[in-house]
Amino acid sequence: MMMQFERRERPLDPVEKPRDTGGPKKPDTDTSRDKLLKRMRKVDPKQSERYRQRTGE
Amino acid sequence: MQRLFGLETEYGIIREDIEHSDPVVESMELVRCHHRPFRADWDYSGEDPKQDARGFRAKMLQQEQEEIEFEEKDRHRPFSFHEMKSDLMLGNGARFYNDHTHPEYSTPECTTLLSLIAHDRAGEHIVRTCARKRNEFLGVPDALQLYKNNTDFHGHSYGCHDNYLLPRHVPFSDLSTHLIPFLVTRQIFSGAGKVGVEEGNDFRQAGFQLSQRADFMEVEMSIDTMHERPILNTRDEPHADRERYRRLHLIIGDANMSEFATALKVGTTALILQVIERGLAPKAAALAAPVEAVRSVSRDISLKIPLRLADGRSISAVDHQRLYLESAQKAFPSSDTEAQWILEQWERTLNTLDADPMQLSDRLDWVAKKWLLEAFIDAEGTDWEDTRLTGLDLEYHNLDPERGLFLGLEMEGEMLRLITDEDILSAMENPPMDTRAGVRGLIVSKFLKDIHKIQWEKITFQGRFKKPVYLMDGLFESQAIQKEVERIRNCQTVEALLT
Repeated sequence: MMMQFERRERPLDPVEKPRDTGGPKKPDTDTSRDKLLKRMRKVDPKQSERYRQRTGE
Repeated sequence: MQRLFGLETEYGIIREDIEHSDPVVESMELVRCHHRPFRADWDYSGEDPKQDARGFRAKMLQQEQEEIEFEEKDRHRPFSFHEMKSDLMLGNGARFYNDHTHPEYSTPECTTLLSLIAHDRAGEHIVRTCARKRNEFLGVPDALQLYKNNTDFHGHSYGCHDNYLLPRHVPFSDLSTHLIPFLVTRQIFSGAGKVGVEEGNDFRQAGFQLSQRADFMEVEMSIDTMHERPILNTRDEPHADRERYRRLHLIIGDANMSEFATALKVGTTALILQVIERGLAPKAAALAAPVEAVRSVSRDISLKIPLRLADGRSISAVDHQRLYLESAQKAFPSSDTEAQWILEQWERTLNTLDADPMQLSDRLDWVAKKWLLEAFIDAEGTDWEDTRLTGLDLEYHNLDPERGLFLGLEMEGEMLRLITDEDILSAMENPPMDTRAGVRGLIVSKFLKDIHKIQWEKITFQGRFKKPVYLMDGLFESQAIQKEVERIRNCQTVEALLT
């Protein structure tokens, strides 16, 4: 199963990516942003109020 | 000795279809939904959470009184201790069980970051699959929801612990001296991001911070994990030959959704441990007030506010990490491929954090979450005081692919991937064959019905065998593991295995 890091070396290099001009590259695209906003608007405004957990480690 | 690490993740769990649910029962029932478990009684004899790495045994843990109260409540339930724990050793070498009312998935021992990430994400898939089965059983779609995060925004935290195998000869005082400062500033790339601030049981809607766990770190060192949590946990429970090894059990880290963030968190820590072992740690990185610094670093999203060093100088969190990076670069001038990758990505990440952190929105959790929240604020014409943001923070970590915001980002191709979905599917079934987890998995696969009980380093077979114990407490050398794998493959009987 194990892969070599060389296989993904280039995509892991933020310096080589053409995104030095400001904000995140892909989320600026309307489609992605709109889809994510749609997902966010569906979240129950009381979601975190109802969310109670017991202390863990 | 192998570079060996693993992750334990406690998941948040909630029933949305009823007002009050019992987290013990829900966690237990979730684990029991695992469809192909290896079932045997877990052997708790290898666990001793009171043994302190500083060389003594604690009289009691601060959580004990609370646990006694929980046990009192648990007595009324119609389940035994073992039933409630529902402790499973899976065929892929992982442990999956109900720990302190949270479903917990502990990856098998791994030697490479890619293997670790595959197994960490395999845990997400296994937990998610169990939730789907549980919801089918309940007959209510989406009734049970699971979160890979570390807080409930009401003052209750649960952990994601990173673990590392170390030779016992490294003095624990060296670890505390050099590792505590490193862990304080590690959160600038490993933090999962959090809306607001928690102090005790109080939550304040107060902007955004880098880390989920920072608010819960109260002391520099302690054996405790549930109260007065430490930057450096001193639990000395090696799950290996105590004379030769120790297991460093770090509880300060956030549960990362991002594969890259997990890789950088564990990768840099593993390298720094080797740096410390070689006596090459930076000399002037000690912080004047580490506990306060954990919070101040987390709450400074500009990453510019100076930290006070013990020698009186000041330094930014990014430059503080650079001290450690430089020591690792000197220690590993011609390193293996993985170490080289860690060093390169560490340096580039620090440089980008210094210049413009938002450039890292495709790989660091806190940046990705901040980007999402800012997009929401902008679109809704609201601000950081909006109470809906805590719900969005929570949903970033939801494991439901239809709801989770991180998973939404990933589905849109916005998050950097280091592994493939095929790697994850494979890790759900197969242990890493280059560690003792492979040996354990092989034994489980071949001799399941003969096993009486099991733990990380020991398998006890049924009493009819003369010497029924198989030990793996010193099995950390690659050649020895490969040899043992071959031997077990050729063993036809338990007698042959135990010979």
